[in-house]
Parts: sequence; structure tokens; C-alpha cells
Amino acid sequence: MKILSKSNLVPFLEGLGLEFKVNAPLYEGQDVLFGDLDSSKLATDFIGKPRLSPKEYSFPQRERLFTFKNNGGVEIEAHLNETKRVIWGIRPCDLYGLKFLDMVYLSDYVDPYYQARRSNTILLGLNCNKAEESCFCSSIGTGPFAREAFDLLFTDLGDVFLVEIGSKAGKKLIEKQANLFTNATSKDEKQAGILEEKSKKTFKTYIDLGKVEAKIAGASSSPVWAEEAAKCILCGGCNWVCPTCYCFNIEDVTSGDKTQRVRYWDSCQLGGFTQMAAMNSRATQAERLRQRIYHKFSYNPDKYGGEIGCTGCGRCIDVCPAGINIAYILRRVAN
Amino acid sequence: MKRVLTTCEFCGCGCNFYLGVEDGKVVAIYPSVSHPISQGRLCIKGWQGHEYIHSPERLTTPLIKKGNRFREASWDEAYELIVDKFNQIRTRYGNDSIAVFSSAKCTNEENYLMQKFARACLGTNNVDHCARLCHASTVVGLATTFGSGAMTNSINEIAGAEVIFIIGSNTTEQHPLIGDRVLRAIEKGAKVIVADPRETQLAKLCSLYLMHKPGSDVALLNGMMNAIIAEGLEDKEFIAERTEGFESLKETVADYTPEKSSAITSVPEEKIVEAARIYSRSKKSIIIYSMGITQHTTGVDNVMTTANLAMLTGNVGKEFTGVDPLRGQNNVQGACDVGALPNVFSGYQAVTDEKLRNKFEKAWKVTLPPQPGLTLVEMLNSALEGSLRAMYIMGENPMVSDPDINHVEKSLKALDFLVVQDIFLTETATLADVVLPGVSFAEKDGTFTSTERRIQRVRKAIEPLGDSKPDWKIITELSSRLGYRMDYSSPAEIMDEIAKLTPIYGGVSYSRLESFGLQWPCPSPDHPGTPYLHKGSFTRGLGKFSPADYKTPAELPSHDYPFVLTTGRVGFHYHTGTMTRKDWALEREYPTGYVEVNSQDAKQLGIKNGQTAKVISRRGEISLSLKSVDTIAKGVVFIPFHFAEAAANKLTAANLDPVAKIPEYKVCAVRLEKG
Repeated sequence: MKILSKSNLVPFLEGLGLEFKVNAPLYEGQDVLFGDLDSSKLATDFIGKPRLSPKEYSFPQRERLFTFKNNGGVEIEAHLNETKRVIWGIRPCDLYGLKFLDMVYLSDYVDPYYQARRSNTILLGLNCNKAEESCFCSSIGTGPFAREAFDLLFTDLGDVFLVEIGSKAGKKLIEKQANLFTNATSKDEKQAGILEEKSKKTFKTYIDLGKVEAKIAGASSSPVWAEEAAKCILCGGCNWVCPTCYCFNIEDVTSGDKTQRVRYWDSCQLGGFTQMAAMNSRATQAERLRQRIYHKFSYNPDKYGGEIGCTGCGRCIDVCPAGINIAYILRRVAN
Repeated sequence: MKRVLTTCEFCGCGCNFYLGVEDGKVVAIYPSVSHPISQGRLCIKGWQGHEYIHSPERLTTPLIKKGNRFREASWDEAYELIVDKFNQIRTRYGNDSIAVFSSAKCTNEENYLMQKFARACLGTNNVDHCARLCHASTVVGLATTFGSGAMTNSINEIAGAEVIFIIGSNTTEQHPLIGDRVLRAIEKGAKVIVADPRETQLAKLCSLYLMHKPGSDVALLNGMMNAIIAEGLEDKEFIAERTEGFESLKETVADYTPEKSSAITSVPEEKIVEAARIYSRSKKSIIIYSMGITQHTTGVDNVMTTANLAMLTGNVGKEFTGVDPLRGQNNVQGACDVGALPNVFSGYQAVTDEKLRNKFEKAWKVTLPPQPGLTLVEMLNSALEGSLRAMYIMGENPMVSDPDINHVEKSLKALDFLVVQDIFLTETATLADVVLPGVSFAEKDGTFTSTERRIQRVRKAIEPLGDSKPDWKIITELSSRLGYRMDYSSPAEIMDEIAKLTPIYGGVSYSRLESFGLQWPCPSPDHPGTPYLHKGSFTRGLGKFSPADYKTPAELPSHDYPFVLTTGRVGFHYHTGTMTRKDWALEREYPTGYVEVNSQDAKQLGIKNGQTAKVISRRGEISLSLKSVDTIAKGVVFIPFHFAEAAANKLTAANLDPVAKIPEYKVCAVRLEKG
């Protein structure tokens, strides 16, 4: 464990900027968004999470995959993004989100576009000393303090950050700017432990995960699906902001003799989802809502050795114009 | 990635988001969490609807028609041709032989310049825009009753209301973030009453649903007021202190017993009475309406009647009350505010008022025409008659959006010269002699004014595509070449001029708009803006009860045309689809039009769900897929108007409200046949 004084955070990140593209949470007015490091806007004291997770640095909203043109044969140019990148300020929920996406995109079938981005990205986490209203990571077990999936992990101790090393790549970053760091003491670590316990007490949203896991298979005919789906206004927001949603659509965009194949985030809540395979097999909104929840709490754990497809970040609660609340639904499922 | 905060280009909610820009392209969207309306949320169009910006179909150079084909042209060539033609036509036929369509999609600054161009450069008041087709009746009706033709209250107040009466608005689909506030109010226990000929999403979630016949709104509202007065539920103090004309209202509505109202509207008597009680018993009752109220030959009557209801119960002029017309386009409120209307300058200052006209003459250094110009549908009629010879259309597509398209086509073809300025070669642009490439909202600076009168910044995120130019720049260049110089270095400078000449925008400047804008009236630089109108007294002084009798729609079902057609929209598309139909996600949801028919009617017609139906009116016919539903009244069919290949407006009639000149899109007679 290391200590970095708060006044050394910007020098550290700017130092990283010599070798890497550095992304971090930034204040844009009163909004917090991940962006390219701008030390005048750097957000270190924000509570909760930016509206979108840093998922998009590995899996962008819109990504040009390759360009092809017909010149007798077919000429293809792939657009692999191998930018060397460090992301600072990733919340524990979002670290788990990236761990989950890695399982999807880098295991059975390796997605070269995701891999190019992800394998060149170093993740620096930032523990949460306080939960937002919608946060329920403590119920899922992904936060408020992270245990895995980071290269370095920062905990705000007031004047200083406690820095935990999670990988060789992370360790190397510290070694390169070793003069900025001091060694942590057991007192620092103890203080972090106290902060974690305090943070856990700030949660307002809970689910009983054990009960959900035990009961979800039998909840498919619950009235909750139709009741909640009746409010859905079909914005797709729950999918767009989810750190683990990985579904996409691809489109060919032709201009002159060149065609670009573009990948976009897609939403399982829309009627046209999976239309390339004829139709959305879930005909009603109730079935689509149920699919979203089942996918995360039943099908994903079945497929990925018990790993849940929900980070507990609560973004889908905050983003929903209809007030559809995943924690409420899970509580209904559990009971 | 560069991020630019801007205002959404679709509906009147006025959400803010950041455009994510990489390599000069918009590649990402981030809703603003701190924005008072979006609060980190968006609808599907806000999240996904911006692919059109980089569509390969964007116009990137001026086009001049040669024979039946367009050829690419330089700006100089295009301007010279327009100047020559406009000058010839003006010399031969007079200033009023040219008309201008402004655009509710464009910024305040552009609309201001467009009306200035018509008045100061061309010397005509022939300037109008699509507000004529959506809320012209609101502007007239609320100005008559309250003195100001705008949404009285603010969007966030809706979430705090105890009762919300929604009539003729499919709020969750068409104003999704206002729908968000209605759903929040329901969550908090508010009672919602929905009156609509179609059982909308909110109709399913509300406390009381009234399925009234299209065009029977006055009878329904008068019936409610009759019940309120019969039970002594009116707000006597408010009526005495704040209003005039109550006796005439009382006299008119006395005739509309629940029994009579029920016979006209098809709504059961007890529901009319229940709605009256729910609405009048709360002191935090809000009325929301939209085009179900306005798009009728009785549009002004409908609007005034909603205002009567609010005044009768004292539900106006306070927080969490009011009459809230939801404006459709991103900047239809603003386009009206800055004078893109034939009878008023910016700030609703009448062109017929000599003093006001003198003010503008002095500022613009030119003599201005004193008579109001032609309204939109009148322009098209005049074109066909031959008194109008040329038109300049900016960012509108009347060949899909206006009633009776066959008539529109004949009218536009009858013109000697047509200029269309757009970002795509729309159905209207293909008829033009010269096409000028404007830009999307992402390529220019400016302001939009949302439905709650919130004037907000639009910020340039990317460079104009190809040789296209910001619309404000095009207007200034064309005006200068026609001999009336317009020199503005930026839209901010145009806003400074608007503020100087427009009392309701008097305190507006770009520096004050940085944090999510200002709500007009904002008369001075130190004025904080106005969240709700008519506090203490109405804009016109006393609120004026303006009773109206029920009148039937202009075209009723008959033996040959037994169904009532009502037109509208779907949540995934915008207007004539020129933008949203270029987006993969939106197009995938609704790739084409359809006709919604009551399942019993469909059965009788022998047309199954998904089969093709031919829909025929006195003016035209279209073929489209039939959707059999139980959420529409028997005898009524619905068609969304977005789709040019199955254009609902080939069927609609250009029957107009006598005062507001708004067409009756919500009622015409049709028959259905197996296609």
C-alpha cells in the first residue's frame, strides 16, 4: 500500500499523460463526466457515479469497426484502437462492470475490437466513501470498496489517497513516479477500513441477493413485470447506461465507393431488437423487462460461473423517465 | 473526445445533453444530470436520434434545377439566381408576391432574421411557419383569455400537482420528459384524468379515462363546467377578483348538462361529473393539452374553453396549476416569440400598431408594410390562385406536413420560383428551383426556446458539412445581396438586437444563458425570468372568460366515408421523418406508416392485422398496413403522418379555424378498403 498526497494527484496523472492517454471524471458545469484529463476540471470529491460508466473506452457508443471497398476484390481496413490509456477514478461498481465485459468479450469468442482497446487500458479505481440514493453495490457485493479488477485502487483518506496495488502494470506506474508516493502505515489501512464501514452505512437501497437468487427462477409469472412495464416509455436508457450491457447492432454506412461497418449499443427493451434474426422473440414489454432482469440475475450467473450481470450501480434507476426501479423489482421477486 | 453541451433538436421539452465529438464527428450522447428538465434522462430520440447529422444524404452544396434535374452550383451562382428572380417578381407583381416559410427547427436568431428578411428586405409580412399547423389556436386562444399565448407554468411543477387533466396529448410518447413528470406525480399519489379518442399509455395508468369523440372537446369541457357550477365547486373569490365575463360563461355552459355533453362526446355522464369534481376540488390542478385540442376548425374555441375551466376553479396564476399547451417542435415557441408570424414582430408586437411599427422601422432603418401577411395555408392557396409567385422555405417540408398534399403540390408547382433551404433533399426541396444547404443544430450556435418558455443555448460542436452554411449566415448573405445589408458577426449579436426590440426577451443575453437559460418574460438584465405566468394578475389584467358553443368538425363521416380519421405521431419519429428516418434504431422500430383501426371495425371490414388497407378520403388515397387494436373508439382510425410513402396528409383536409387558420388535422372522413 502507498500514500499519495492529494496535491500530488494532478502531477501523477499528468506524468502518466506523457506515456498514456489519461481519462478521469471531470466537472462539466455541475455534471460529472469521464473525459480526457483536464486538471482544471478534475473531479475527485464527487459522490456517486458519472451518468455513463467508463465502459465506452472499451466498448464505445458508436464504433467504426472496419472500412471496405470493392476494387476488383474486396479491400478491408480494420480500425483497431490500440491507444495506450489509463483511466483514473473508476468506481468499484464500474470496475466490476469491466471485469464482466471482459468475460463476455475476451473468453469464448474474443472480440478483436474490444480486445485492442481493453488490453491497452490500465484501470485506476476510486473507492466510494458515500453512496448515492440509487446505489446498491453493497447488496451485490461489488462495493463500496473494491476487492478486485483494478490495477491501482485509490481511497480518499482526507488529505491523502491510500493506493493499493492490484497488478504489475499498476505497480509500474507507481515505480515510474516513485518520488510522489510514500509508504502507507497500518494506521492508514485501518482508517480505510473504518471509512468502508462508514460508507456501508450510507446506503439507502438494498436487495437481498441470496433471496433473489433463490426465487428468481420461480418469479417469471409475477405480476410485477406487466405492472412495471406498463410505465416504460421505450427510451432504452436502462441499457445505454448499464456498465454490463453488451448488446450491439451493426450497420453498414456507404458513402461513395467506401462502406464503413459501424457498431452501436443496442437495447433489448426495444421492439426492433434482434430484428436481424427476424424479430424480437419477446413480444410484450413485460417480457422484455423480465428478460433484462433475468439476463442479469439468472442467465449470466449460469453462464459465467455465478458472476451476476448487475454491478449495483443504480444508474438504470436514475436514468428511467418512468421510475422503473430494478431494486424494487428485485425486492418483489425476492418476496 | 470533445464534449459540447447543447439543447436537444427534437421536441419542446428542451432537454440538454453533451454531444461527444471525435475526429469532427458526433459519436456519443451524454444527458446532462444537472439540467432542470433532463436530469440525466432522455427519450429514445435524445439518446439515439442524431445519426442523420452525418448521413451521406446531407446536402453539402447549393443545387440549381436544370430541366428536371439538379446540378451542383456555387453559392455565388445560387445567390445571383435568387436575387435576379426575386427582383423580377417583385418588380412585376409587387412585394407581397413573395412569401417566406420560417422554421421551428431553426434557432431564435435564424427565425428573427427570417422575419426581418421578409419585412425589411422583401417588404412583405408574408412570413409564417409550422406553428400555424400546431399551436396557432393556442397563441390566439390564450392571448384572448389570459393575454399571453404560452404555457403558463413550468415543467417541473407538473410533478408537484395533485390533479393533472390531460386532454389531447399523448404525453409520454410526444413529450417524454414531461411524461416523466406526470408519472412522478402519479407515483406521489396525484390523480390524473386523461381525455383522448385513443387510449394512450397514460390513459391506461390514470385515475379516470374519458374516451371522447374527436372534435367534441368543447362539449366535454362545457359539460364539466356545467357540473362544477351545478355543485357550487367554482372558485368564487378567484372569479370575482381576477376575471371578467363569468355571467356569459355561466349562461353558455348552463346548456351543457352532463346528459347533453355525454350525448355529444360519448363519455358516460357520471365520468364527466367525476372529472369535474376531481379537477375542481384540488387547488393544485394542472391542464395539459396538445394538438388534440388545437388542430381543429374549433381550435381557438377549444383552447379558450380549457382556459375557462382553469379560471372557473382558480387553477391558474399559481404554482402547480395552470394551462399548459405542450409545444411540439424544439423551437416552435421561440419561432413565434421572435416574430416568424404574419401579424406580429418579435414579442407578439402587432405589425398594425403604428407605434410599434415605427420602433422597428427606426431600428431597421426601413419602411415596413402595415398590413398583416398571409398565413401558411393561405400562402399555398394564393400560389394556386396566382397572386403569390415565389416562396423561400427554410427547414420545412409541407409536402408531407401540410394538409391535403395533392393541393400543396399543385400550389408549389404553380409558383414561378421556389427556394428551399434544408439539410436534406426533402419531398419539398425536390420541387425547388434552387436548394440551399443549411446545417444541423450540431453545426451552429444559437438558442431554442422550449415549451416552458426557457430560452437555452445551442452550441456548435462540429464544422458545417461540405459547403453547407449556418442558416443565419445564409439569410444575411442573401439579404445583403438583395440590397438590405445584414451584418452580424455571431448569433450572440443577433440576440442582442432581439433583446433591444422585444420586451419579453429584454434581459436576455448569451452571458446570462450559460447555466440552462432563462424563462421569459425576462424584461431586464437583472430580471431572473418567470417560472409561471399571471401571478397576481393576468397579462391582460383580468382573465376573460370566453365561452364557446360546441360546433361540429368541418367534415363529418358520411355514407361514402364512414370513418373519422385522426392523425398524429409515434414516439420514435419526428415530423416528416427527414431526420429520424435516417437513424437505424428509430427506423427499425417504425420503418413505415400504418393505420390503427378498432378490432371490431377491422373484423367487419374483413381486413386482418398486418394486411394492407386502402384508406380513401375526398382528397386522396394511400395504402398501408392495418393495425387492429382495442385502444381506439369504434368508427375512428388513426394514422401517423411521418411517412411520405403513406402520407396521412394526402387524406386530410385544409379546413381552417376561422381565426387561427389552423387546419383540422384531427378530423376528416375516410373509408377503408382491402388493399
